[in-house]
Amino acid sequence: MQRRGFIKKAALATAGAFAAPYILPSGRLFAATGSRIANHVVLCLFAGGVRNFESMQKAEGNLMPFTLTGNESINPQIIGGMDALPSPSGQRLQQQGTLFKEFRFAQGPTGHFSGHSTALTGQYVLGDLNIKQRPTYPTVFEYYRKHNSPSMSALNAWWVANTLGPYPALNFSQYPGYGAEFGANFIQPGSIISIPGYNSLGDPKNFEAAQLDKVKSLRQFMDNNFSSNYTPGDAGITNIEEEAILIENYINNSFDEAVAGQYDNPWGVGNSMNGDMYNVFFAEQIIKQFKPELTVVNMQDIDVCHTNFTGYCNNIRKSDYALAHLWQTIQATPGMANDTILISVPEHGRNEEPNTILDAYGKYALDHNSDEVSRQIFCLVVGPPDKVVQNQVISTVTGESVDVVPTIAKVLGFHNDIPGGMLSGTSLDQAFI
Amino acid sequence: MKLNYKNCGILPLLLVLVLSSCKKETDFIYGVTDIDIQKPDANKPNVKSTFTFISIAYSDLFGTTISQAQLVDLQTAYASFGDQRFIEQMIIKNFLNDGGVDIPLQSEMNADVEQFIKDSYVKFFNRLPNEFELWHIENEIAADPTLTPELIYFAMMTSNEYRYY
Repeated sequence: MQRRGFIKKAALATAGAFAAPYILPSGRLFAATGSRIANHVVLCLFAGGVRNFESMQKAEGNLMPFTLTGNESINPQIIGGMDALPSPSGQRLQQQGTLFKEFRFAQGPTGHFSGHSTALTGQYVLGDLNIKQRPTYPTVFEYYRKHNSPSMSALNAWWVANTLGPYPALNFSQYPGYGAEFGANFIQPGSIISIPGYNSLGDPKNFEAAQLDKVKSLRQFMDNNFSSNYTPGDAGITNIEEEAILIENYINNSFDEAVAGQYDNPWGVGNSMNGDMYNVFFAEQIIKQFKPELTVVNMQDIDVCHTNFTGYCNNIRKSDYALAHLWQTIQATPGMANDTILISVPEHGRNEEPNTILDAYGKYALDHNSDEVSRQIFCLVVGPPDKVVQNQVISTVTGESVDVVPTIAKVLGFHNDIPGGMLSGTSLDQAFI
Repeated sequence: MKLNYKNCGILPLLLVLVLSSCKKETDFIYGVTDIDIQKPDANKPNVKSTFTFISIAYSDLFGTTISQAQLVDLQTAYASFGDQRFIEQMIIKNFLNDGGVDIPLQSEMNADVEQFIKDSYVKFFNRLPNEFELWHIENEIAADPTLTPELIYFAMMTSNEYRYY
């Protein structure tokens, strides 16, 4: 009987092996069944701390004419501090999607890194925040690359940051089972596509393909001999070789174009071009080059508000212009047009009460210290009419920062594959058809 | 117990030998820098910091210390991209394209391949190659006359082991 039982079990196991579904690289059985709303998401963090008074409530006039309808003129007291920008034409962004005017950064300190971390992980940072460490919860990039089916390479996930500091750490987390293997390509274009970057990286030795093959073969031999010491992820995320070549070509082309002066005034706005606009410009280059499925780009020049309220208002206008330019680029990019959802949200707001610093136009500056007003933000979801509810304004308190990650997961169709309990928010279903 | 006096002449000799064997060894210093030779894969649990990687790579290729200004620029470029292995390759490629780089000529390598490999392992990995590594790379060099010292340097400096100490 024992022998017969063994044979029966062995036969079942063998049959099961043939019948079992393919185990995906992510360790998950079966391909994802979640249907997608769109094949691309661009999250633009309208960051630096934007108060709803100046954005949604137009306390200083309509500082976001490319996003918001209305022709409220800018407060004459600060008009002298506004740089020249083109005027909007055609539909405003809010008319091309759904605007949550009373969104909330409900918990955690209203700090820039805390806010970015919340937007990218779907979890508020409630304990001590160590800016030298990677997030404790997986980022949206890791959820996407681990749970999307088929598994996508890093070329499909980009985190384009306007500064260095702690922000490079947001392309993957320290959460067990996630990490560098599923992280995004991080780039800080302002540092790498720059004169110091060019001096460091702009004149490489160009090897022939056959020479690179020899190098690869030798390196593999050496790596095999060192395999017991090496831990995957020690060098951050890894692009597969074919895609690393594409990225290298992209960077080298960017150097060439920068040297040729093509980046001196790329949007034709002259001296009005600030760091945020440049960061969005570089994100657009990446979008045009690689058509990623998931792109996150941020802007933070608005944070001059700690010492310069009028400069803050001026930079809100520039961020508004950059956001609209980003959407135009997406719509002009084959493969992204009509198949992309653009989400824009500040990481947090600013205090109700000003500090004591007065600017040249007689306006007091604002900090962000977690008062109730600094938790009041907006969220804009823009997309094609067959996917996103058009011209919808939700003026009641609806939605939180932690809802951004579930919304992205819903759009890209892997929401149901994220293990339960990992996300505390819910997707912004009101925005979608 | 009887003593055999026929062998008494041997005793002083044994005494001299015993005493001389206890003599403190003299340390001779020949002016050669001490090199800590380790087994492959042993005692390299740490990843080099950005600062360390760039500084050592520069010294290994140029035989001198990198300037502070160049180090700052390279560190910034290094931090600006998330795939560190990728950016390391770009840094090394730029170093290799610099006129001041110090790489043996092909003829020097071919004159003593074994010594070239040993020197390269000590230079980049801080250890001698084991017999298998020596044999394998010797064979590669012998089989392919287009395999230059520059390519071997590039492979070693972009290998995983070079990132560890």
